[in-house]
Amino acid sequence: MLFIHQFHKVVGRRAAEFEAHVRDGWMPLLGEGTDARLAWYCDLAHGSGLAYRVVTVTAVRDGPAYLRLAERMARGDLRDWARELDGLQHESLGRVLAPLPWSPPFPDLEELATGGVDREPTLYMEDTVWPFPGRLRRYVDEAGAVYRPSLAATDARMQMSVVLGLETMPGAGRSPEVTLMHRLSSLPRLLDLLTQDLPAETTGPGSWMHEALDLRDRWRSRILRTAPWSPLP
Amino acid sequence: MLFLHETHRVIGRHAPAFEGLVRDEWMPALAVDDDTRLLWYLNHAMGSGPAYEVVTVTALSDGAAWEALGHRMREGDLVDLAGRIDACRHEVEGKLLLPVSWSALQDVDLATVPTDARTHGLTVYMQDTGWPDAPLDEYLELWDRDYWAVMRRTPPDQRLLDVQACFQVAHGSGIRPEAILLQQVVHVPTLGRLLTSAERHDPTTWPGTYMAKGLEIRDQWESKLLRTSAWSPLW
Repeated sequence: MLFIHQFHKVVGRRAAEFEAHVRDGWMPLLGEGTDARLAWYCDLAHGSGLAYRVVTVTAVRDGPAYLRLAERMARGDLRDWARELDGLQHESLGRVLAPLPWSPPFPDLEELATGGVDREPTLYMEDTVWPFPGRLRRYVDEAGAVYRPSLAATDARMQMSVVLGLETMPGAGRSPEVTLMHRLSSLPRLLDLLTQDLPAETTGPGSWMHEALDLRDRWRSRILRTAPWSPLP
Repeated sequence: MLFLHETHRVIGRHAPAFEGLVRDEWMPALAVDDDTRLLWYLNHAMGSGPAYEVVTVTALSDGAAWEALGHRMREGDLVDLAGRIDACRHEVEGKLLLPVSWSALQDVDLATVPTDARTHGLTVYMQDTGWPDAPLDEYLELWDRDYWAVMRRTPPDQRLLDVQACFQVAHGSGIRPEAILLQQVVHVPTLGRLLTSAERHDPTTWPGTYMAKGLEIRDQWESKLLRTSAWSPLW
């Protein structure tokens, strides 16, 4: 499975049309075939970053399915849909990503809804991490061995879990780069993180925060909120 | 066919090691099958932009070949080599490209692409990347109708550029809307005049021409002057 991750810079005045274009166009159009499905539609939470930014994640069966989809967009039946999209967004930045070896299992494409979903929004923390040159594989291994299990510990500071861990496919984005989609299950814990300094035991020697500084010291977190109709919560 | 376009921000101190790894190990490693080939290795000409920046273009026969390359790099025979190359650069920014319908370059016979680092003279390319305000298709139509067609009608002895390929970014692998022209500089003295005679290209002095029409749908593009290495498979 591969994942197309897109960060859309939406025309503010046309934000509702943009959302409808994806909900009523892209999602059901993909649902007519077996190559790909929209997995998530998320708004970047206002107050936490840039305005009118949307993240979509589309799951694609494999490399040949990706190329078929790309060709449909460039010169096939999806070209008109793409042309209309151009008027609704200033631009989008896309990446094609592969799951990390330890990423949790992802549903079969057939299990992803292509309409009819209406539920309470879910919050995600999407972390994009840039390991130091030559440290990508070690970062991936240690994040799987140390970081991911630490989130499940009973005394974990944050109540969240990695639902998808991703790295860039060759030539389809920036590298070295890793993206971790964390599903948040406690808003108060998030607010604690935002409003209080990290305790020393979280950042001191022996902690993941401290030891992983050998592997990276730059990452970016985005707080994303799923749309009520997003196929995955 | 897919074209994998990568811009490598090389660690200056490791620049010779980076080039050596790509030339002596990466290029032959890609060539173990006939579905993937390194096509171009281009240095961004110092004095015209960022230092220690390299552009490579790799051709892949299909989506399966691309997926297989990713698998080799993540958990196959290329893990170690990819790691050593990675250690020689700050980062790499990649995108997948599809040729537009009128691009001269559509398919490459991969079996004929050299993989033995044979040397040759150097060639300079002008790579133009444009970001229209209008739908991408309108930009590509403008390039075809008002740029490429005009250039083809220009007598060979008056040409600055030969458009070798025009690409759009494959869905979800980079910026949309974005399109790229890969153009060989065929007359360096004319390039000199372009750099020094800005008034010749002022759109207000060329009503009805490409430069004026272009402003109706875009005013942002970037030209990069790229010089092939002496061993680049294509040049």
